[in-house]
Amino acid sequence: MTGREFDVAVIGGGPAGLAAALGARRAGTEVLLLERENRLGGILNQCIHDGFGLVMYKETISGPEYAERLIEDVDREGIKVETGAMVLDLSADRTLRVNSRSGYGLVRAKAVVLAMGCRERTRDMIEIPGDRPAGIWTAGTAQNLVNLQNLRIGNEIVILGSGDIGLIMARRLTFEGMKVKGVFELLPWAGGLERNVRQCLHDFSIPLALSTTVIDIRGRDRVSSVVVARVDERLKPVPGTEREVACDTLLLSVGLIPENELSKRAGVSLSAATGGAVVDDRFMTSAPGIFSCGNVLQIHDVADWASLEGFEAGKNAASFARDGLPAGEKAVRVATGEGIRYVLPQVIRRGIAGVDLHFRVTRPRRNVWIEGRGASTGTTLFRRKFPRLLPSELQKLKLKSAPDEDLEVSAHD
Amino acid sequence: MIDRLTCLLCPIGCELEVETDGERIDVRGHQCDKGPDFAAEEVLRPKRNLAASVPLRGTADRMVSVRLSDRVLRELLFPILAEIAILRPAAPVRRGDVLIKNVLGSGVDVVATRTVD
Repeated sequence: MTGREFDVAVIGGGPAGLAAALGARRAGTEVLLLERENRLGGILNQCIHDGFGLVMYKETISGPEYAERLIEDVDREGIKVETGAMVLDLSADRTLRVNSRSGYGLVRAKAVVLAMGCRERTRDMIEIPGDRPAGIWTAGTAQNLVNLQNLRIGNEIVILGSGDIGLIMARRLTFEGMKVKGVFELLPWAGGLERNVRQCLHDFSIPLALSTTVIDIRGRDRVSSVVVARVDERLKPVPGTEREVACDTLLLSVGLIPENELSKRAGVSLSAATGGAVVDDRFMTSAPGIFSCGNVLQIHDVADWASLEGFEAGKNAASFARDGLPAGEKAVRVATGEGIRYVLPQVIRRGIAGVDLHFRVTRPRRNVWIEGRGASTGTTLFRRKFPRLLPSELQKLKLKSAPDEDLEVSAHD
Repeated sequence: MIDRLTCLLCPIGCELEVETDGERIDVRGHQCDKGPDFAAEEVLRPKRNLAASVPLRGTADRMVSVRLSDRVLRELLFPILAEIAILRPAAPVRRGDVLIKNVLGSGVDVVATRTVD
């Protein structure tokens, strides 16, 4: 089986993959965009709320509008698009095994962009004990059922976890006439953006209980109640604080996990901190010619940033497809120090200035310095003060100069 | 009186401090020039957008998502949602089509946010 050949193959047609295909195409390469759903747009199709597009289009629009704009560009620019096409396997030599509408076949690409997005963490992954009744969904599944399939998922809702999708769904279900009885968050701070806590919960007097979790689910055929309890600093339930909350539905908004099964098949090194690939400043993974962007690389809180990452990754994949890997490249590594959950990229090529460092802090901080120091000399390469940083917010910081030794990035008061 | 609020205009979500003293409103903490106007509006007459999804006429689950062309006073959200709940647009619908003009006299329209053929 010889297979079809393309300069750049992009896996996944959401906000990152659409942008990656455009980035590669505008750099003059032949691009194949593969999407396993029957239409492009990815998760944007079910994100009907507004707040998208502020960076890309300088106005606030909904997810479907944002997707359609990108898709119209993709249609205009002569990108080969296949929907209903599932990539079954990817190898380090950039051969894709694809099950598409026309059957099974091979695709060989000079460069590949991974843009498969992420999955939601499930009940099993956080190990909530109790019965196994109907009425338990991840927030994103509920969003799909309500917004795209016109289903009513319940009457009285409890939400565990305060991720953005959970907050958005609290408002959406309130709009649909359901009673959202409360949002319970294990950590002492909200998982989602502050603006969503305010406009999705406060506006409708939906209580948010921090340092509180669900310790039991009750119900025979359908959820009838959950038991919640306060947790201590070690996140263990405090005896005596249990209380039963009657409800028929439990939504989980307890985190997103980059979907890297294909990346693993190709031997791409993954980061334990991000759950995504280890990449260099051009978003290339440890497998030469395989690039990564969007939520499969790191969980974004804003789709626009996933797209911007996609454009860059696509453009850089096009360069690789055309020129291959320059000989004799050297790089420095970027490590995370105290107070930092992760920094990305984890690798910066020597001599490259102007790199955007993405990072998240481990806990909410005020008036905090973010500092990058040389790992061997201790020299400060950059130091910037932020009035407020939250773990829920992905931050960017431009590295003006080119680092010439390994770096460690840390947070200090 | 001092109010603390989160700006809702973009994902940065600036933490605003709004000091009201009779007619005068002082705003601190904004990172762009839209902050002060937002803060004044939020303290006096908060406005919001809304989104919903309705089935095409004659179908149970072919959905068209909608939003408002601009933000409205927050107390209008539920009355407008009641209008949207009985909306059954006929196909085809283009993104940006006005499905209800000047809904409840609010001055804003209910617009489609998806194209369905």
